[in-house]
Amino acid sequence: MEDKGFSAKSSADRRKRFIALIVLIAASFSVYAVYLFSLQIVNGLEYQSRATQVARRVVSIPAARGEIYDRNYDVPLVLNIPSFAVDVIPAEVPRTELPILFTRLAEILEISEESIHDKIRPEHYHLYQPMEVLSGVSFGTITRIAERIEEFPGVTWRDKPIRSYLETGSLSHVLGYVGNITSEDLQVLYNQGYERNALLGRMGIEKQYDQVLRGKDGVSFKTVDVKGRSVSQESAEDIPPETGKNLVLTIDRHIQTLCEKALGERIGSVVVLKPSTGEVLALVSYPYYDPNIFNTRGEYETYKELSLDSRFPFLNRAIQASYPPASSFKLIMTTAVLEDEVFNPEKKINCEGQIRYGDRTFSCHVKHGHGPLNLGEALAQSCNVFFYTMGTEYLGVERIVDFSRRFGLGQITGLDLPGEKKGLVPSPQWKEEVYNTHWLGGDTVNISIGQGYLSVTPLQMANAVAMIVNEGVNYRPFLVKEVRDPVTGEVLKETEPTVLHTSSIRESTFQKVKEYMRGVITEGTARYVILTDAVEVAGKTGTGEAGFEESWNSWFVAYAPYDSNDPDEQIVVVVQVEPVNQWEWWAPKAADMIFHGIFTGQTYEEVTEELKNVWYLRELRERE
Amino acid sequence: MREKSLFNMDIYIFLSALALMVIGILFIYSSGVSSEGVVFSNEYIKQIIWAVTGLALLIGFSYIDYNRLRDYSVYIYGGCILLLLITLLFGQRVNGAKAWLGIGQLGIQPSEFTKLATILFTAAFVDKNKGEITGVKIILQSLIIILIPVGLILLQPDMGTALAYIPVYFFILFAGGAKVRYLSFFLVSGLLMILLGVLPEIEKEIFLENPPLLLLLTEKTFFSWLLGALVIISALAVAGYMVFKKGYFYWLSWAALAGCLGLLGSRVFRHVLKSYQIKRFIVFLDPGIDPKGAGWNVIQSVTAVGSGGLTGKGFLQGTQSHYRFLPQQSTDFIFSILAEEWGFLGGLVVFTLFLIILIRSMSIVYQAKDNYAYLVGAGITGMIFFHTLVNIGMAMGIMPITGIPLFFLSYGGSSLWMVAVSLGILQNIYARRFSY
Repeated sequence: MEDKGFSAKSSADRRKRFIALIVLIAASFSVYAVYLFSLQIVNGLEYQSRATQVARRVVSIPAARGEIYDRNYDVPLVLNIPSFAVDVIPAEVPRTELPILFTRLAEILEISEESIHDKIRPEHYHLYQPMEVLSGVSFGTITRIAERIEEFPGVTWRDKPIRSYLETGSLSHVLGYVGNITSEDLQVLYNQGYERNALLGRMGIEKQYDQVLRGKDGVSFKTVDVKGRSVSQESAEDIPPETGKNLVLTIDRHIQTLCEKALGERIGSVVVLKPSTGEVLALVSYPYYDPNIFNTRGEYETYKELSLDSRFPFLNRAIQASYPPASSFKLIMTTAVLEDEVFNPEKKINCEGQIRYGDRTFSCHVKHGHGPLNLGEALAQSCNVFFYTMGTEYLGVERIVDFSRRFGLGQITGLDLPGEKKGLVPSPQWKEEVYNTHWLGGDTVNISIGQGYLSVTPLQMANAVAMIVNEGVNYRPFLVKEVRDPVTGEVLKETEPTVLHTSSIRESTFQKVKEYMRGVITEGTARYVILTDAVEVAGKTGTGEAGFEESWNSWFVAYAPYDSNDPDEQIVVVVQVEPVNQWEWWAPKAADMIFHGIFTGQTYEEVTEELKNVWYLRELRERE
Repeated sequence: MREKSLFNMDIYIFLSALALMVIGILFIYSSGVSSEGVVFSNEYIKQIIWAVTGLALLIGFSYIDYNRLRDYSVYIYGGCILLLLITLLFGQRVNGAKAWLGIGQLGIQPSEFTKLATILFTAAFVDKNKGEITGVKIILQSLIIILIPVGLILLQPDMGTALAYIPVYFFILFAGGAKVRYLSFFLVSGLLMILLGVLPEIEKEIFLENPPLLLLLTEKTFFSWLLGALVIISALAVAGYMVFKKGYFYWLSWAALAGCLGLLGSRVFRHVLKSYQIKRFIVFLDPGIDPKGAGWNVIQSVTAVGSGGLTGKGFLQGTQSHYRFLPQQSTDFIFSILAEEWGFLGGLVVFTLFLIILIRSMSIVYQAKDNYAYLVGAGITGMIFFHTLVNIGMAMGIMPITGIPLFFLSYGGSSLWMVAVSLGILQNIYARRFSY
């Protein structure tokens, strides 16, 4: 050691330092080996699951929405046709490049740039979730994007079938339409299993039965690389989506079309009901809209445009609009008079064309008066003076209100569609509360002929007639007859008729009312209009003043066959035409064609051909 | 008593280095294979070229008399400092640091070669002044030799590479016989400087609060008061030692002065480094504070290593690496892909090979013929040791992300050549241990 040139002391010191460094190195490696052991062996499993998780993405596979059929269950009214949705994953695109990307996308998708900016706002730019830009994109457009994918960073697409409505007419009010779920909807519905980018029924059956139709989204577990590209095939844990259930409606699309055409382009509505069960065979409201336009154009723009239409095409007038029932209310008045025996039905009252009540004069629609009439004749001729007298002198407002309620007026019918209105049956207490004034005799006069504050929906009137037809009971009207399995077609659930109102009114009373209703057709106001020879109709006209010259609410409430023991055969038809239309007393005319078509099994075209010499159709032709 | 030798070499170091280079090439290849099995990178071919030339350099330098290197060390050092200056002026920016010098694809990292040059020059300087090694002057002077390249590299800015110079300094001076109390004074001051420098950031980012005590470090007035107090304590302690010559006064002044230096240093530290650099430096403590940014590398690397298990997922079978969650797989995180695919056993193999190189190096150092060889050997061993410790520690998530390579394995010509040359010098020291 000496000869190395180190002193003995420094040599010993050097040895110590050498050992210290060796110890430092060896100790460090030992600590590292122990730490590596704890990472890989002790906690290895945890990191392994973390490694799997980091590369695992849970992708939701959207379930196909159920189809909707009419009662014939042959061809669907609504089905899903293959289509694509284009998404952008904002966080995958550098912020500075987003505007350029949006410009390119807008160009290739043929939409406005603003609509993309509306959907992907700056607060979304950090998100790794796909954000939908447009749905209903064709395969061709997707191909064009795929060919130039390097120009579209962060852009992906997926299957998203379009909801295609094959019957686009008045059924839109029944079926409704679907739209993309909004963030606000999602806040409410998230716990019910709805996810971003899901479809949501917005109106009609689509909305009411959304939970049944939507099915259950599946889950796919994918292994992805850091860019989110899938690197593995489907795994065994995948949960396949469950297709939504199919619905079979009570609607008969042939009757629906017949009614739709019989009403024509007149603002109003038609209800056809099976009184023995409550099944709705047709529910028409004009104007209607085409639900398919929500697919081809932006939902928001379309909705805005349609909501600004002054004719309110979104309003389902059969259930969401209420009107004074006018003379059709005399059916309820007649029932009350007969049931409570307040006036001898055979006793006559002389109509002189008007009556004074207090300091006001109320007139009949025949200026010179009907002359002497008993109850049946008064209903047939729709004499106002007779019913003024009944209301004010024999029944009184309390009884009128009571009988209206017994018929279900002023209450919703419970039809399985969203947004039904309940109308209004006014009472002295109600007037006191709302207007803070007393109920006057004039109010009783008005309600006696179905005017004033009284308002009803066409569906309520149809169900009131059903009460008469069934002689004391009516059913909750319904639209969905069956829920069926989408694959096997097996009936999973069938709607049973449920009693809505049972009345203690005697059957004999109803029989008498029916007789009088037949009289309306044979001798009364509808004599010249209800001309069909296919079936015996019984009903009541209603023509209500709308407060301005030459414009009346036109009602016709009826059922047929008049005297049938077969409940399956009976139908109730209610037609309501709003006063905004040109006055042509159209309600009974439409009903005439509807009854004729239903009972001969003919289409509207066949009906108009067969009845072409009938005066009202001739008049119609002449006008055109 | 000659050892088994080939070309008069330490065969253990040579074979271990060779094995590590081969493993490195294997995993550089693996890192260039996509999840579909497509080879998308030719880095491994370049690495083979560098490894072969590196081995040639190793053998070549084992024949160059290290005494010649001592004679030229001042010029080598000066030349490297010049290269660093040129790099700062004309260098290419890669990964945010202006650390590259070159034309087109061909480039070198002068900061790598400067490490070796600094070792050679510092060793020469210390050797020349070995009679005064126990004094403070020599320690301070050699500190300046170190701090010149450190400062230049910090300007690039490349904190990791700059830090790698510090252990070289301590290894050389410690081996050279400098007094432990002086060395530890600088070590403690330096650690204090870093600790106090990053502490406010740690509090802010990880504990999400600003405790009043920290205002002492961040608020200028408080800081001045604290520094002033320490200066007064130091002055009193020094005065006390002068008067009474008592041991405890000595250590009191030692501590107070180290505190002053650390405190002042932390101020400089926070001034020189940007907030994001400090954040990057401390993110390994809690990668969750920035999981998509600086913490991403830590999280992915630890997950890759941990999921390797005992025997790993198999060569080319790593998921973290091949799905490309793991960044910089061929350079900074080469150990992570190895540990993922070869598991704990593979990791142990790498540890063992490095340990063989380091222990054998220390043995060569101990047997060195003269003081200069001894100091150079200690510097080289210290350099390799520090790189290994920091890089593997970084892959396991217990060391800051500094971006310094793992010698022999990480992709890159400059570091591979430099370490090959270093081993060549060690081999020459080994070969000349008996020649007088």
